[in-house]
Amino acid sequence: MAEYTLKVRRFQPEATDEDKRGAYWDNFDVELDPTLSVLDGLLQARDGEDGSLAVRCSCRAAICGSCGVKINGQSTLACKTQIGEAAEEAERKADGESTTSETGKPEIVIEPMGNMPVIKDLVVDMESTHWEKYRRVTPWLMPSGPPPEREYIVSAEAMVDVTQSVACIQCGSCVSACLSMEADPDFIGPAALAKAYRFVGDPRDGQTTERLYDLANDQHGIYDCTHCFSCIDACPKGVAPMNQIMRLRRLAGHDHDIQDVNNGRNHELAFVKNIEKKGTLDESLLLQESFAPGIKGKLLPTIRSMKGLIESIPTAIRGIRTGKMRSVPKLIPGVHHKLPGDAQDHVKRIYDKTEESRIELNLYVIGEGGEEEGAPGAEGVRAEDITAAAQAEEVTPS
Amino acid sequence: MKLAYWPGCVSRGFTPELHGSMELTAKALDIELVTLDRANCCGAGVIAEHNQELADTLNARTFALAQDTGLAMMNICSTCQGAQSECQERLDADSAYRAHINETLSGEGLAYTKDKDGFTNKNFLWLLVEDVGLETLKSKVKRPLEGLRVGPFYGCYVIRPKQRLGYDDHPDRDLYLERVIETLGGEVVEYDGARRCCGFPVITMNRETSLKQAGTHVGDAIDAGADCLVTPCPLCHLNLDMQQPEAAKVVGRDLGLAVLHLPQLVGLALGYSPKELGMPKHIASTVAVDDRVAAMA
Amino acid sequence: MPDHDVLVIGAGLAGQRAALAAAEHGVSVGIISKVHPIRSHSNAAQGGINAALAVDDSWESHAFDTIKGSDYLSDQDAVEIMCREAPNELLHLEHIGVTFHRNEKGELGTRAFGGASHARTYYVADITGQAIMHTLYEQLMKYADLIDRYEEWFTTELALDEDGNCVGAVTRNIKDGSMELFRAKAVILASGGNGQIWHPTTNALICTGDGIAMAYRAGAKLMDMEMIQYHPTTLRGKGFLITEGARGEGAHLLNAKGERFMEKYAPNKMELASRDVVSRAEQTEINEGRGFPDGTVALDITVVPRKRIHEALREIVLVGRDFAGVDITREPIHIKPGNHYTMGGIKTDIWGRTDVKGLYAAGEAACVSVHGGNRLGANSLLDTLIFGRRSGEDAAKHAAGRGIDRVSRTVLEQEERRVQAIIGRERSGRRVSEIKAELGETMDSKVAVFRDEEGIQSALDTVRRLKEEADGAWIDDRGTIFNQDVLGALELQNMLQQAEATCMAALERKESRGAQFRTDYPERNDEEWLKHIDVSLNGDGPELSYSPVTITDWQPQERTY
Repeated sequence: MAEYTLKVRRFQPEATDEDKRGAYWDNFDVELDPTLSVLDGLLQARDGEDGSLAVRCSCRAAICGSCGVKINGQSTLACKTQIGEAAEEAERKADGESTTSETGKPEIVIEPMGNMPVIKDLVVDMESTHWEKYRRVTPWLMPSGPPPEREYIVSAEAMVDVTQSVACIQCGSCVSACLSMEADPDFIGPAALAKAYRFVGDPRDGQTTERLYDLANDQHGIYDCTHCFSCIDACPKGVAPMNQIMRLRRLAGHDHDIQDVNNGRNHELAFVKNIEKKGTLDESLLLQESFAPGIKGKLLPTIRSMKGLIESIPTAIRGIRTGKMRSVPKLIPGVHHKLPGDAQDHVKRIYDKTEESRIELNLYVIGEGGEEEGAPGAEGVRAEDITAAAQAEEVTPS
Repeated sequence: MKLAYWPGCVSRGFTPELHGSMELTAKALDIELVTLDRANCCGAGVIAEHNQELADTLNARTFALAQDTGLAMMNICSTCQGAQSECQERLDADSAYRAHINETLSGEGLAYTKDKDGFTNKNFLWLLVEDVGLETLKSKVKRPLEGLRVGPFYGCYVIRPKQRLGYDDHPDRDLYLERVIETLGGEVVEYDGARRCCGFPVITMNRETSLKQAGTHVGDAIDAGADCLVTPCPLCHLNLDMQQPEAAKVVGRDLGLAVLHLPQLVGLALGYSPKELGMPKHIASTVAVDDRVAAMA
Repeated sequence: MPDHDVLVIGAGLAGQRAALAAAEHGVSVGIISKVHPIRSHSNAAQGGINAALAVDDSWESHAFDTIKGSDYLSDQDAVEIMCREAPNELLHLEHIGVTFHRNEKGELGTRAFGGASHARTYYVADITGQAIMHTLYEQLMKYADLIDRYEEWFTTELALDEDGNCVGAVTRNIKDGSMELFRAKAVILASGGNGQIWHPTTNALICTGDGIAMAYRAGAKLMDMEMIQYHPTTLRGKGFLITEGARGEGAHLLNAKGERFMEKYAPNKMELASRDVVSRAEQTEINEGRGFPDGTVALDITVVPRKRIHEALREIVLVGRDFAGVDITREPIHIKPGNHYTMGGIKTDIWGRTDVKGLYAAGEAACVSVHGGNRLGANSLLDTLIFGRRSGEDAAKHAAGRGIDRVSRTVLEQEERRVQAIIGRERSGRRVSEIKAELGETMDSKVAVFRDEEGIQSALDTVRRLKEEADGAWIDDRGTIFNQDVLGALELQNMLQQAEATCMAALERKESRGAQFRTDYPERNDEEWLKHIDVSLNGDGPELSYSPVTITDWQPQERTY
């Protein structure tokens, strides 16, 4: 048993006391075993001290997804966070400074999830935010044609692969942590996009192209993710939503060649070609080719591409003025040097080879931590398995 | 200390002052840098969006070039760190995959080897704290940055995801900037944005979302009383500094906050002048910092 | 006043399946849940779902295993229906998107499970319940036009007409505290089990058996209430579940001396004997001093190949790491029997119909009875789906062509007063949370794996005292918005009524059968006790009666594993 102080961000919408109007902080001292959870601590406070402390919870075992909160700033599940570890993390973050309670111990700071309106204390409105976005991705399987007499025949790997997204418990931790959504509340967001991949990646679904088209042409869709990894760290179930978003981009961009409203596909192609030719980034060329790709893009620029290029002019002028961009290769796209000697040829060869094989290794499929250290038998089979999985996209009803 | 050095693309492109200041700072710290001039772009996550195997192979090539020197590798870009660590994680996870990639590299006589303790590729920030050491760093400070109020800005790629980025072994990597600032004699400014996203990865795709993020963080730092920000990521620098006037328009307020590269901040404390460290090349005025530095001297 | 042809209360697997089945029959459906549907406890079913789908398997084999597992207390007509309909239900789930595990040929693959003579458990890693429930919720989205969802509404009481028919329910919108009378032509209770009566338990905090208590108060009979399953592998103190799938994959049970003790108790099936047998074996080892000092035995999963663990037992890897600090791929984990499932519940026929006209029940809230004295692993998901669907279909038929009756608002006013009275209680006596804690400890120590008259009687005395105390127990929250405190008080009243019924039935059954092991009556006694004990509410207290067990093809035999 040990003592802990929970510093809880509270909001009592019906409070009449002067000091409880609006959001406020409330401290609870609890005593429990360090291996118990922050949720256990909150329940002890609620059961013994203040029954009006609102927090959704049910399973206590990280499967129902009710108790999403922020603990010491990190979005997570209260039931999955051991209170002893939370106290250590609070201490670590305080780094010898400020935020310690009267007992001299660091306070475990507990707040409602972000990006969603607070209803009461730690309870947020997921319906108007998260669930609304969930419904935006047409979240059900749409096979083409009637079902087979028995099961669909699909590869074991394909099922494990989408099970990574199926493992999502819709707790909202990733939504809470999403930094893109902070800036753009309309962003579909990590949970709903992982849900979208669950169907796009399912060989039984018959609407893959349509789904990808919709996702790529939603201005707040797959190209609105800033690649900040917050959702990966927040997810209590290893769904790695950002990885699923990147796979959706790979599928929409490369595999289906879908032109999107955000210019994502053009940017990707411009970047990839740039490195193939130069080995390192020619930023001017990247900018030009992102917005006005190839001859067609230059002869027939779209309004969007014109706007993009025009918007970058003041920045370029400022860069020239300070000297940042005052050199020929930086001003004229394509003048940028190649890698020395035969290095560029070797890079080109890597392109030629990998653009054919295009192996996609999913760490979720091969298992956490991957191979056993020095385990025999791990050698020699895997890459073939992966290729086989990649090719096993076809569905054959039995 | 001798290291295989991967400067990345942007440090020699739109933020040339980063590469320059790193070379000066390394000299003052007795670090010998062996530049990997044959190495290629890390892909910044974008190539992986196109073809994961391509990204993994390109970075395996860079690692193999570093391993050929027999030295540990250092980078000066959070984005390089993150993109390369992601590829390394996959390369290290599966021997068959590794063998397949090495076959592609064999034409150049290269191979990536999974070391027993892992191939070392460290951002300058990590290296500064873990290998140079804060004690040593402190002993080399010639001009303590007294009175300089610095807001740390990490960049996503050196703080998340924690498991991939070695936080199990080095849990405090998300506090290193604060420690470095204090070691150099500066004052840490706490503000909301330190560990948030600068928005750069979507600048060409969703300009408004992107600049709103940059503008918000710069504004928050100003409100918290910062003289400048410091970042180990040149891509963050592009959005926070180079795009700052544009970000100001999006968030509808005046900004104007200097954003220093990490080697610049270290370099100032080690005695170099703002000019030597390339600070006049910045878009957001560094006058406030220059004045503080002048006052220190 | 929202009206629906069919009103479903509870939105786990049974409820969602019932709602979808009813909607398919073209009636209007409302589904109410006190939590968001996907928070329901069906999530927790890890290991899988049974179906005799393989060509070399048969529904008869599945039925026999189920009946033997039940210690011959299940109704064999109901078991037959469940096992016959299982393959089609499973294929339906596959067709709507459940990502069931495949074999190398891409066909559905199985794993072994306890008490089964054939590997017939289909699964999605060890998140089978979650995977199926999320898939059904997807279907609720697909059919959103046909099914109205009331998420986070707490049902306090059923509404009856003058003839005692069920015609709706009174429900509190948790978000704003408003109370509504929902009118319906048929009501399906799919509100789950009542494991929270015990502490610890594998059950979620929401598993308070509200539907069982409401049906009981409405005049429906409860059945087999003494049959409480203790799961063999739960974490000490916290009650978290380690799936039976772990043993299905080959994990061993070891006592503190490192002996694989199941050799003594079930030499043929070993760790895969039925749950009551394994739990008793473990408890015997512990009671006789061969357990670990913390009152546990060990589950050794390290004998399962590491890669297979990561593929098939991911959730258990997380549970071990996050809740026990154990890497199950490298070391054994300490476990003990823990409260898990109630075989009993609201007595229904094979269409989910209860003794109250217009009222149906399905899932863990109901007792058809397919589980009898002991449920086999991976039969609970099947039960929820088969009888959820059948209830939905029959309720739709019942509703079709019938008008909505005028329903008196008296019950709404009475429920509003009841809730207000709790909110307004003086701060004297005990807290709701204290009473709940005492109930849980009492039941876990006296109405658990081994029972005797003295213990059960003392538990019953305690429950009756707690019932009185609960009538005056106070709460803190005086508000309307998200007042979880008042819901806790209502749940406590529900739990105490059920606990009383369970104690009475356990006291009555003077034999040992399935999960009921009486140390004072250690033998099964078919002559006197091959019958169900029914409990109905008479005034304020339970009244017991008996009903016959339906036996078709399988005569009771001695039960060995």
